[in-house]
Amino acid sequence: MNNKNKLLNWLALAGAYFRLNLRAHMEYRGAFISQALAMAVNDFVWIVFWTLFFTRFPVLKGWDVKDVLTIWGLAATGFGLAATFCGNARVLASLVVQGQLDAWMLYPRRLLPHLVLGKMSASAWGDVVFGYAVYIFFVRPDAAHVLLFVLLSLSAALVFVGFFILAGSLSFFVGNAEVLAEQWTMILVTFSTYPETLFDGAVKLLLYTLIPAGFVSYLPVAALHHMSLPYTLCTVGGALLVLAAGITAFYVGLGRYESGSLIEMRG
Amino acid sequence: MKQMNELRKYLWIARISARSNLSYVGDLVGRIVFLATVLFIFLKLWQTTFGQTGATHLGGLTLTQMLWYLTITEAILMSAPKVAQLVDEDVRTGALAMQLVRPMSYGWYRLASALGERYVRFTVNLLASALVTFLLVGPLPAAAGGLVLLAVALPLAFLLDFLGNFWVGLAAFWLEDTSGLLLIYSRGVLIIGGAFIPIDLYPPAVQPLLRWLPFANITSGPAHVFVDPNGGDLLALLVRQLAGAVVLGALVLLTYRAALRRVFVNGG
Amino acid sequence: MNAVDLENLRKTFVLKRGGLFNRTTTEVVAVDGISLAVKQGESVAFIGPNGAGKSTTIKVLTGIMRPTAGAARVLGLVPWSDRSKLAYRIGAVFGQRSQLWYHLPPNDSFELLARVYNLPKNDYLKRRNMLIERFGLAPLIETPVRKLSLGQRMRAEIAASLLHSPSVVFLDEPTIGLDVVARQELRDLIREWNREEGVTVFLTSHDAGDIESVARRVIVINHGRVVLDDKVSTVRRKFLRSKIIGARFEELPGEINLNGVTVLKRSGYAIKLEVDTELTNMDVVTAAILHAGRVADITIEDPPLEDVIAHIYGQHNTKYAQASK
Repeated sequence: MNNKNKLLNWLALAGAYFRLNLRAHMEYRGAFISQALAMAVNDFVWIVFWTLFFTRFPVLKGWDVKDVLTIWGLAATGFGLAATFCGNARVLASLVVQGQLDAWMLYPRRLLPHLVLGKMSASAWGDVVFGYAVYIFFVRPDAAHVLLFVLLSLSAALVFVGFFILAGSLSFFVGNAEVLAEQWTMILVTFSTYPETLFDGAVKLLLYTLIPAGFVSYLPVAALHHMSLPYTLCTVGGALLVLAAGITAFYVGLGRYESGSLIEMRG
Repeated sequence: MKQMNELRKYLWIARISARSNLSYVGDLVGRIVFLATVLFIFLKLWQTTFGQTGATHLGGLTLTQMLWYLTITEAILMSAPKVAQLVDEDVRTGALAMQLVRPMSYGWYRLASALGERYVRFTVNLLASALVTFLLVGPLPAAAGGLVLLAVALPLAFLLDFLGNFWVGLAAFWLEDTSGLLLIYSRGVLIIGGAFIPIDLYPPAVQPLLRWLPFANITSGPAHVFVDPNGGDLLALLVRQLAGAVVLGALVLLTYRAALRRVFVNGG
Repeated sequence: MNAVDLENLRKTFVLKRGGLFNRTTTEVVAVDGISLAVKQGESVAFIGPNGAGKSTTIKVLTGIMRPTAGAARVLGLVPWSDRSKLAYRIGAVFGQRSQLWYHLPPNDSFELLARVYNLPKNDYLKRRNMLIERFGLAPLIETPVRKLSLGQRMRAEIAASLLHSPSVVFLDEPTIGLDVVARQELRDLIREWNREEGVTVFLTSHDAGDIESVARRVIVINHGRVVLDDKVSTVRRKFLRSKIIGARFEELPGEINLNGVTVLKRSGYAIKLEVDTELTNMDVVTAAILHAGRVADITIEDPPLEDVIAHIYGQHNTKYAQASK
């Protein structure tokens, strides 16, 4: 199979997993809806809060409330899409720790692109709906901006998927990695929802490396501001870098896993 | 004498719960790193805000006080034990139904274990975040007095949060899944409760209402008497906490009774 | 081409223990030089006590783990380097791994598997229908897995593992927890699949009945080495034919003197017998027991696997052998 066919094949597989995950969630419709709704409400409450704050204190050195709404939209849709389509990446650390990687390795598929499809987060749907809704209804952009926003939200999703994998791969190297991975992820999410104008110097550098919030929301906001191609390319480029970092960490860690040299011996 | 034995039993439960929480080192490190992150971000936020508006006091607090305020609220927020989840589980597994013979003892058991866990986690969180805040903005004036007032304000604050969480857990008798309700409750504590910015900075129209809701008296109230120690404020806080506890307590009891009736009718 | 070829397989683990300051490192030899060859179409029982190296060997064979030394080939492929290619040709039913989605009917999981294994639609449908018929899954194919009994679930799991027409299947404790009827049903299905379809079966089980029903060859592993590799019929002649019967009476029991029955222990109102089922029948023995006095309780068990293995070494230091001295 050439590369285009491989991609199409993977997309068809992803579609099948998406349908099955959704169907499984629909068996518990009440829980699904309440979790998604609660997350959307949660996100909404936050932006009301920040809207009030930044309206009262317009201190953001050139950024205004609409920019704050935009970064929330990007962070929410990016995170939500990642946790919906590639939900298993979010829990990679516990998969590794509980030995569930073995089950996935028995399938005739490249391991990582397959296993990330295996789970879907219900609450993440709330994030996705909220993210797009907040941008479309509160920022009220034109069609061109909406299109760019959708593209940038996909790019943000790539950052999160790559980051989930990177953080989760810690479990190949360090004990108690589930908590570390979760906290590191939450730090990324947190930084992604605050305007870049608050930070400077060394912290700014951090936000484009160890905590790539820059690629989730800051660069995209600049791209949307100026409808700029260079900024968009940088955004997508950064997302691919984060994804590459995650994939590399995973396969290096997998090598250790296959030689059985993890800290605890299993079975 | 019987009451003394009961009390001793619950103290023992609290102690065990406290001890078992000290062993979660990894969890601790993670929490501290996250706390430090939030404190750092808010330092930047407040520096920007104070700087750009040229104010020395916002909502009656200086920058230093603002950050120490956050230190306390964060320590309180992140010390919350998973009461709602435990109660939810007990409801679904039927363990709660089995306590029907002495329903009050279940409540006291949960309270004792929650308080034990909470005090330990709060102390550890406080020490860690205090260190970070000290490095960021330096010491807080009148800290000693504030600490005393905080110590007085905490027990009822923890009780209020317990009652709120317990009530959410009881919803498991009716709801397929309580995690949504729990999220809404914890957002309430966070945002309506003024965990991030003092109630004084909220729109003036809603301030009185917000102050009387239980949310604000869990985090914002205690944090405020710590950074801006004032006997009168403490008294007012205690009154509001007590009122909130009475109302929430009544709500919990009514819901509990309704739940038990449901169990009897449906047979668990 | 053989189904499985192992040459001097070795696997050592480095076990690190202790905290930050007193780390100890021990080397644990899980597999200590295993060599064996399994032809296609065979049905092999791969048994041994816990910690003997069985699961490590299987992990190497399925490509999950790389060995420390030695060679392994499954269907001509090196498992850990050609894992994807090999995965198309092998199937596996392991305890911790369910291929069926818990909240959905088996049919949904089958459809997903068809896509995972890139099965052409028509081939998949034909094969699926055939499996549904042979495994008796028609009444439950649209029922969510969580509502199925364990026996039904295991049947569906094994059918799922055969969906992509593998040449070799690895089955780990497939009948554990099943009732007598379900157990026999499953054994029959597995045996049928091996004898008629020619699928190589690699079975791990602690259950002697599984081994007898399904396998024609048994390989015993202990301490990381092959301890026995022989036909089941031969091994049965030596060990799997004995049963241990414990009986408790309400009075002092009479003598039991039968050909093929050894009294292992006698104390008070209880006796323990070893019965050689090749030399005598269970109904004769139980009749003799009931005749010996008013029976309060009877238990009939297989001799424990550890004893069987120790026995294989000719070491007569099982508790039963000792008692009979």
